[in-house]
Amino acid sequence: MKTQLIRRNMKKEFNGWWIISLVGAVVILLPILFIFSSIFQEANENWLHIRQYLLKNYVANTIILVVLTGIFTALLGVTLAWIIAAYDFPLKRFFRWGLLLPLSIPTFIAAYTYRTMLGYTGVVQSTLRNQFDYQINSEWLRVSGISGAVFIFTLFLFPYVYLITRAFLESQSTAYIENARLLGRKPLAVFYKVVLPLSRPAIVGGIILVIYEVLGDYGVTSYLGIHTISTAIFQTWFGMYDVNSAMRLAAWLMVIIVGIFFLERLLRQGRRYHLSSKSRPLVPVKLKGIAGIAAFVYCGIVFLLGFLIPFIQLLFWAKMTFVKVWDSTFITLVYQTVFVAVISTIMILVISVVVANVSRSHSSFSFILSKIVTSGYSIPGPIIAIGVLAIFISLDHWLAPVYSKLGLGEAPLILSLSLIMLIVGYFIRFMATGFNAIEVGFEKTGKKYSEASRMLGIGMTKTFFKVDLPLIKGSLISGFILTFVEICKELPLALLLRPFNFETLATKTYQYANDEQIYEASISSLLIIVISILSVVILQMIGKKVKK
Amino acid sequence: MNLAKLFKPLIVGTALTITLAGCGSNQGDPKGDESAAQPKTTENQEVNIYTARHYEADDELYKNFTEETGIKVNVVKGKAEELIERLKREGESTQADLFVTVDGGVLANAKQNDILQPVTSDVINENVPENLRDVDNQWVGLATRARIIAYSKDRVSPDELSTYEDLTSEKWNGKLLVRSSTSLYNQSLLASFIELNGEEQAQEWAEGIVNNFARQPDGGDRDQAAAIAAGTGDVAIMNTYYVGLLANSEDPEELKVADSIDVFFPNQETTGTHVNISGIGLTKHSKNKENAVKLIEYVTSVEAQELLSAANYEFPVNPEAAMPELLESWGDFKMQELNFDTLGEHNKKAIEIFNQTGWK
Amino acid sequence: MSIVDIEGLTFSFSRKEAPVIKDFSLSVGKGELVGILGQSGSGKSTLLRLISGLETPLSGTISIAGTTVVSNHVFIQPENRGVGMVFQDYALFPHMTVKENILFGLSKMPRKDRKQRVDEMLELVQMEKFEKRFPHELSGGQQQRIALARALAPKPKVLLMDEPFSNLDADLKESIREELFNILRKADMTCIMVTHDRNDVEAACDYSIVMGQADVKNHISPKKFQSIK
Repeated sequence: MKTQLIRRNMKKEFNGWWIISLVGAVVILLPILFIFSSIFQEANENWLHIRQYLLKNYVANTIILVVLTGIFTALLGVTLAWIIAAYDFPLKRFFRWGLLLPLSIPTFIAAYTYRTMLGYTGVVQSTLRNQFDYQINSEWLRVSGISGAVFIFTLFLFPYVYLITRAFLESQSTAYIENARLLGRKPLAVFYKVVLPLSRPAIVGGIILVIYEVLGDYGVTSYLGIHTISTAIFQTWFGMYDVNSAMRLAAWLMVIIVGIFFLERLLRQGRRYHLSSKSRPLVPVKLKGIAGIAAFVYCGIVFLLGFLIPFIQLLFWAKMTFVKVWDSTFITLVYQTVFVAVISTIMILVISVVVANVSRSHSSFSFILSKIVTSGYSIPGPIIAIGVLAIFISLDHWLAPVYSKLGLGEAPLILSLSLIMLIVGYFIRFMATGFNAIEVGFEKTGKKYSEASRMLGIGMTKTFFKVDLPLIKGSLISGFILTFVEICKELPLALLLRPFNFETLATKTYQYANDEQIYEASISSLLIIVISILSVVILQMIGKKVKK
Repeated sequence: MNLAKLFKPLIVGTALTITLAGCGSNQGDPKGDESAAQPKTTENQEVNIYTARHYEADDELYKNFTEETGIKVNVVKGKAEELIERLKREGESTQADLFVTVDGGVLANAKQNDILQPVTSDVINENVPENLRDVDNQWVGLATRARIIAYSKDRVSPDELSTYEDLTSEKWNGKLLVRSSTSLYNQSLLASFIELNGEEQAQEWAEGIVNNFARQPDGGDRDQAAAIAAGTGDVAIMNTYYVGLLANSEDPEELKVADSIDVFFPNQETTGTHVNISGIGLTKHSKNKENAVKLIEYVTSVEAQELLSAANYEFPVNPEAAMPELLESWGDFKMQELNFDTLGEHNKKAIEIFNQTGWK
Repeated sequence: MSIVDIEGLTFSFSRKEAPVIKDFSLSVGKGELVGILGQSGSGKSTLLRLISGLETPLSGTISIAGTTVVSNHVFIQPENRGVGMVFQDYALFPHMTVKENILFGLSKMPRKDRKQRVDEMLELVQMEKFEKRFPHELSGGQQQRIALARALAPKPKVLLMDEPFSNLDADLKESIREELFNILRKADMTCIMVTHDRNDVEAACDYSIVMGQADVKNHISPKKFQSIK
């Protein structure tokens, strides 16, 4: 009886949609499981060395970095979100959007820009020296070590917290905040007693995104000379040629990530508020006099530091090195970067749409499926890279007979030397970005339209193309652009998984910077930033059209 | 269940994936867009290089080579360790003919990993002295940089300097600058000491250096020079290459930094100054061996060596080649005499010592 | 002949919760109009979703026009059950015109017949002039009529209506309700309607069922219904 029921239900659910979803989940899960399997292998000599002298330091640095960055991004992000959402002051409309711009500058580019700019030969110290004849102790301005990294991460990652919190405050909190105001509480009290507790899930959500970025970072930490688990993975892999120990480190990092995952659950679910979904937008209060100026100055400083200053500095360097560095290869670089990003993004969106559509049934199985599919975002690039690489090499070995039948020679490496490997890496890492956007789209439209379609005798697949897809067009576009921008900025995966002659703007920038040619790196950096900004502008424009 | 219905989305999905994979693998052809023609027909006209040197000067050399010989040069750039890892994995199916990288330790590592093969050419042997070639001829030197002591012109007299070992003495306490131990340059330096002076002394040396740090290691070689100019420290271990870059920078501030320091070649009376050698090796499974050898012959020629040295401030390996003024002004110096293989052999030990002594 | 046959139907949203519908049986004959009453949460909407195939029962059998559409070992996909549904908020596709909405369900019909069927349906609901409009350009009552036309166009064996009047203004409601039932009678349509408003049922239904306590099954004729009241 029971098995009969299960069989009936399986038959009911089982279709091409599920198969594609399962394939997607397997592709994502395999490399991750592969990493974990390394824990069960016997440790080698290198690992003993790492454990004895380094591991404690790696773990400590990683945790300190995460905690400090988390605190500071929260401070900056939440206060800015509150000021922008609740008040009106000069240039507020500009800042509302402009405070997102720091996200367009990849953190590793920000790190070397700031470090050089504030360094002994940089514009700050040399101006002081030459114009004012004042030599500041150059150690004070040195962007390095953990404090330097926290500074960079805070300034360029806070928009995650800002964006999510602001969106929440603007759309969800109106009734509570207005009530608190009517009850005669002072603005500060409103902020502490109402805004902060209410927006806790949003804030935590933003901070978690920041933490994932920090954990997966390779560019900033390696440039500023901090040994974290992520940089150690690179070093053991390529410095010691020891994939096995690198995977052990990766597994350690996964332990931290799982810890953070539970922490998030704890922080978020401990107090989950059910907020009414129908809510009016918050009407900002006009700030007068000093308060208005203060708000303006605060936002202005963050905007200057987080975007305008580094951007102008890069422009300046680009001008200085343009003649020397610029050639047609930059066009190729742009083309390659955009090419691989577009292909990966399309793949991500296709699978996202399929999985999100399947997950709409809200069974426990589909819940697990959506969790698996989005798990890549929390896993640092280097780890994904190791897993993907290992899987592809074994895939190539496995396919060797096929290759030789096709006349490709004995035991060649086809897949693991192709761009597919990098695309799969991106696919795993950024699936969540696309999936979440699509899921929001489906949640907004609800199931009624597709149900109506099915009641009219149209099957799931046709319904999808004729009804669902047109309805989630807006989410599809924003999912596309967000994923695209993330991929354009991505460094470690591109560094490790790209095929040979393949460079992206990010890897090129990194190469220059790694070779201490910071000025020469400015052109490719600017190209990344411009591509990111343009994409977001396009998104805004399309968004307005779709709304009309 | 209707089969067609079951598989419709599946087929659409697979078709998409295959199409994408098709574009992808096409793009991933290691020879890239520039050599769109089939490898077989153009076999005699091209040579493929995997290089960890990303300098405009190198590109210039390859361009000249193509102009002179008509042999097309395809270049793939990457980090040395990645390239070695790739070559290992590619095995017989590799497209690479030549492997180029900076640092003897890495070259030795490539050799250990069995991805190179010996080159025999009278022209090369004539161009490059024996001590700048691998003992088994698996690679040939391309250029060298000396790992020297840079010192503040204002605060240090060259009389106070003598050897690397002397940097551990009391007088440099709190005045010594050097970059992080993750740098290959430092790893090879320590590896050379392990070879020349033994493990124990090498360890003592590293401890002594750590004791004298003016600050925790930070930044690259250029940063150490800037820190001397800023007064953070008085002496720094760094590469001549970066001194050359600083002295020829487009940034006036960097020129000032270069002006405030001078270079000292240590251990002239004893074991000689440590050099980082860049080398070029023929890959074990090269498909265009003849062209590859021709290219090695070219890049070690007087003409190419002069170009490289002038543009990149590296010491030429060809003794006939003239050096730019700055390098000339430093005069001749005595190099460490050792088999570069040993740098590779001691690399792991060197890393261990660094970690034990707390040299970040 | 009965069009819809339900036997021993049990349904629960999750394994932990008590069933919303328990051992429910019902038989609806051809051309009958059945009203289903009950408070919110009593499972009346769920019943419609079970019949249409949008939900799956724990146990029980549903047959439509003699074909078993769900049992312990059968599940026929909603699009193959020949069931029409008018949703509570109509669910007209916002990106399609009125005409396209009605055409949507006619894909199995020969191409030349489709246009004619659309015109027929528009005439039936007296909305001929609106075929080029988009749903958001229509009033609530107009939207409802289009939703009805769309549901009837593919000639379903049974029509399900989920609170069809709940989104209408009170003064409109009565006239629209009358109109709707006229249309249904004209089309000789078997119909199951869910509502929380007794007046809806009294107005036209052949008989009604009150869902509430899951195990109570009621067959009440309108007259008897009145007597209860």
